[in-house]
Amino acid sequence: MVPVPPYVPLEIVNMYLPVVYTGLIIGFFSLIAIAMEKRQIHILILTDIVGFAMILVVASVGTDLAESFILPGLVVELAEILAISEILISREMRKIQSTNINKTLAPLPMKYDMEILTTAPNFLTLVLLAYGVFLTGFTGGAIAGGGILLYVLSRKARGLPIVEIEGISGLSGIGWCMWLIALCLFFLLPQYWLLSLFLAAAGLLLKVATKMGIIGIFMREEYGKK
Amino acid sequence: MNIGSLGGDLLGLIPLGDIVLYINPFHLFMFVTMLIFTFLIAIGRTETQVETQFGTLDDKTKTVDLKEFRARRFLSVVCGIATAGAMITGDLYNLTLFMSLIGILNIGIISSVKQIDVLDSVFQYGLIAMMCSLPLFGGAALVLGACGTVSLLAIQSIKPTAMMIFGAILMFIGACGESGIAPFFASKAEMFRTPGSPFLLIVHLSSLFIIIRVIEVLLIICT
Repeated sequence: MVPVPPYVPLEIVNMYLPVVYTGLIIGFFSLIAIAMEKRQIHILILTDIVGFAMILVVASVGTDLAESFILPGLVVELAEILAISEILISREMRKIQSTNINKTLAPLPMKYDMEILTTAPNFLTLVLLAYGVFLTGFTGGAIAGGGILLYVLSRKARGLPIVEIEGISGLSGIGWCMWLIALCLFFLLPQYWLLSLFLAAAGLLLKVATKMGIIGIFMREEYGKK
Repeated sequence: MNIGSLGGDLLGLIPLGDIVLYINPFHLFMFVTMLIFTFLIAIGRTETQVETQFGTLDDKTKTVDLKEFRARRFLSVVCGIATAGAMITGDLYNLTLFMSLIGILNIGIISSVKQIDVLDSVFQYGLIAMMCSLPLFGGAALVLGACGTVSLLAIQSIKPTAMMIFGAILMFIGACGESGIAPFFASKAEMFRTPGSPFLLIVHLSSLFIIIRVIEVLLIICT
């Protein structure tokens, strides 16, 4: 038996076996659900639950090595579900186009009917951007990016032309570089840790915010495509 | 079980920090074979298919365009390198990661065949690969929880407990699902002799090698 360090509380040690069994039982029941379900999109969603049960089983160990198991596990799950949904989409498109050439699976144009998009979207966008910059880091990036998304949506909902910013993906690259420089500074010049911390936070902010902005612009391009 | 009694005499250790690779004649042979096959695949070309048409005397050639060919070759080469890495690694953690990587790459290689039947079968395979990440990662985590380490050099001297054997069985189920069953689904693509099918060979080869290696690792854990 592995010696557990004495400073680990007894409750956490006792939680190990119940969590393992919970994970396995969740996995088993989702397998039963998958066996009973007939529609393939539902099977795909149910399969994701098995992935969450995997995270439960791995997390039950609770050491840093187990944590390093969780990250690749999550990434593998995410990559597989993306790949399989792509396969599902391309197969359905092929099926449809083999019978009817003109029909496509491309999404229909969206109809926005929300008051928030017509009353004060610019002010809200400014607030979101300012709050995101104030927060910095990953959360701040998500909030600022949400602001950009809201702006693009509101312009589209009011029928105004959307200003196309070509360099927005380049900005994301600059954010990535800032993050990398900060990482190197952490190791080379540890006395400037505050500088590198803020460099990394600002880099992440730029990166995540522009990612969300890109989603908004790409969405428009995809849906507007003929 | 002792590492030496399974794969022949220990030729040497390669310590890379906390990751220690150990080299047997058995591992070395499989590693080199895998690299040779990967090289052959890297320089290989897709086959061009000639289909006879009904009703006329014409033939239709099916070729793979350069972009798709490159994507397929890239996936196959990465799959070969991942398999070679799984052969030489002395770490349960790395073995698990290589196996899940091979699972994803197998999905990619098979799904690049754009036929409805093949896409149907690769969808089923992808579902099974996703479900089997539970026993694969869960089994590895249980072994880690029972041993406190994932290094095979350290595990070989630990007496097996019930939890370790349970984790090993789970890992075996996971390995079967991630790459062991892949040939059954790849054969669907091969049956139709799809354009560019030689790249599917790496799916068969990697699953064969992975299963051999996993059985060796399980013997180390269980005995």
